Amino acid sequence: MKRWIAFAIVVVVACLLPLALDPRGYWIRVLTFTLLFAAMAQAWNIIGGLANQTSLGHAAFFGIGAYTSTILLLKFGLSPWIGMVAGGVFGGVAAFIIAIPTMRLQGHYFALATLAFGEVMRVIANVWVSLTGGPGGTSIPFSPPSFANYSFKLLLPHTYIAIAALVITTLIFEWIQRGAMGYRLRAIKENPSAAEVIGIDTTRVKLQAAVISGALMAMLGTLYVQVAVFFDPDTVFSAAGISIRVALVAILGGIGTAIGPILGAFFIIPLEELMNEWFSSSAAGLSQLIFGLILIVVILWRPHGFVTVFRSLRAKFTGGTAR
Amino acid sequence: MSILEVHGVSRRFGGLQALSDVSFSVPQGQIVGLIGPNGAGKTTFFSTLVGLIRPDKGSIRLDGESVVGLKPHKVAHRGMTKTFQNVALFGESSVLDNVLTAGLLRHDVDAAREEALKCLDRVGLRAIAHQQAGLLSFPERARVELARALCTGPKVLLLDEVMAALNPVEMQEVMDLIRSLRDDGITLLVVEHHMRAIMTICDRVLVLNFGKLLADGTPQQVANDPQVVEAYLGKSMEKRA
Repeated sequence: MKRWIAFAIVVVVACLLPLALDPRGYWIRVLTFTLLFAAMAQAWNIIGGLANQTSLGHAAFFGIGAYTSTILLLKFGLSPWIGMVAGGVFGGVAAFIIAIPTMRLQGHYFALATLAFGEVMRVIANVWVSLTGGPGGTSIPFSPPSFANYSFKLLLPHTYIAIAALVITTLIFEWIQRGAMGYRLRAIKENPSAAEVIGIDTTRVKLQAAVISGALMAMLGTLYVQVAVFFDPDTVFSAAGISIRVALVAILGGIGTAIGPILGAFFIIPLEELMNEWFSSSAAGLSQLIFGLILIVVILWRPHGFVTVFRSLRAKFTGGTAR
Repeated sequence: MSILEVHGVSRRFGGLQALSDVSFSVPQGQIVGLIGPNGAGKTTFFSTLVGLIRPDKGSIRLDGESVVGLKPHKVAHRGMTKTFQNVALFGESSVLDNVLTAGLLRHDVDAAREEALKCLDRVGLRAIAHQQAGLLSFPERARVELARALCTGPKVLLLDEVMAALNPVEMQEVMDLIRSLRDDGITLLVVEHHMRAIMTICDRVLVLNFGKLLADGTPQQVANDPQVVEAYLGKSMEKRA
């Protein structure tokens, strides 16, 4: 009960926060992308955190979502909302197909296989010019502003959609974590043979997690490009920009916890923007160097993520023990 | 009718014939001991029964239906599961969550929690239900594993050395528990090195040596079988001469 009250308070504060920012300014844009990255990291967290399968290929699903809704809009005039659902289906199917050969792999092998899958998708999108427009990129065409058209004059509605997306992915994550599937995924993570012997269909449960994670990631791809307006294969299928960043957000925040991806996103995404703002006019690459150094320090300081800071603070106030 | 019928089960790993032509059947409600020297194939045999290892040849029928080629989770669903010799708990989870996860085979989360608490009561671990499983002592972990196997609602339960490292009092408790499970209609196959325990609780003992079934009978018959004595202690001096 207490948790739900805390959750409600956070959501209300999050809804008020954008109103404090300049509606045409730069920071509301950063906030919107931060929220989307938090949601993406939450989707990643289902397979990366609960099943402990470190995917470095989630850009594949993200890009599939981005291109599905955009192509349906460009070629058939379908609303991006419908495109988002279609993209979710394609993302889920892609996750299913890639999960069948990769889910027997563990640790680094799984990470490398998924990384390769993301890169393959990037190459395909670059080469298949008739479908994607190729390396030249694609713009979201103008539609008359309305909610049904997913087209707005201001950024603010996008920000609220991003908040809704984060709330929904977080609730899905919590629902999975607390339900039968969460127990099964933890069992598989810790001892796959024992999990089978006590009656868990390990193949099926891992597939379910992969499909949910991939489908959510694809839907978030639609939301992202609706804000970004212009994109190309190298952006949406980017290993560094999407796949690794999403994993990094979840890992730095606290892998396998619901709050982790949110803490991680609100640290990493604004920090990266600040570094760019402060140092981009000085030596080339300096901003990335400093950003990288900060990440290293944080990982050394809190190897299990920011969530541990939270826990030790709570322990201090309640007199309990930190976990 | 027999609850478990094994016929001609063989399995080879490279040059090692781990199991060769093992056949026997068990009526419902027996406690059957499975003994044999180290490396005789006892654990391999248990793994084969639950589907972790596929036999090269032979049939395994549980309650009249073949389970050969089924994945372990399907075999568990049909009613046969095992504990692991080296204890394979979900170490980061609590004792209760370990057992609850097994209960999900036949129940939803809330019912599985009830069932898990009952199973923990049975093995006498309810008091530590909320402790982290990985931090317990070895005998405690072995009992959690027993409770977890029990929570799948098995017809046939395979226990792989659950009495290892127990003191005499704890061993008596586990023996009483095994008997009470038998009284509930569960059929048990028990691998154990502790001979006194085997001789006390088993209705029947199977002896495995080099993957072959060497003897099958009451504890008394088996203990007096010269072949069994030879397998354990080697040939007597007179025979060698």
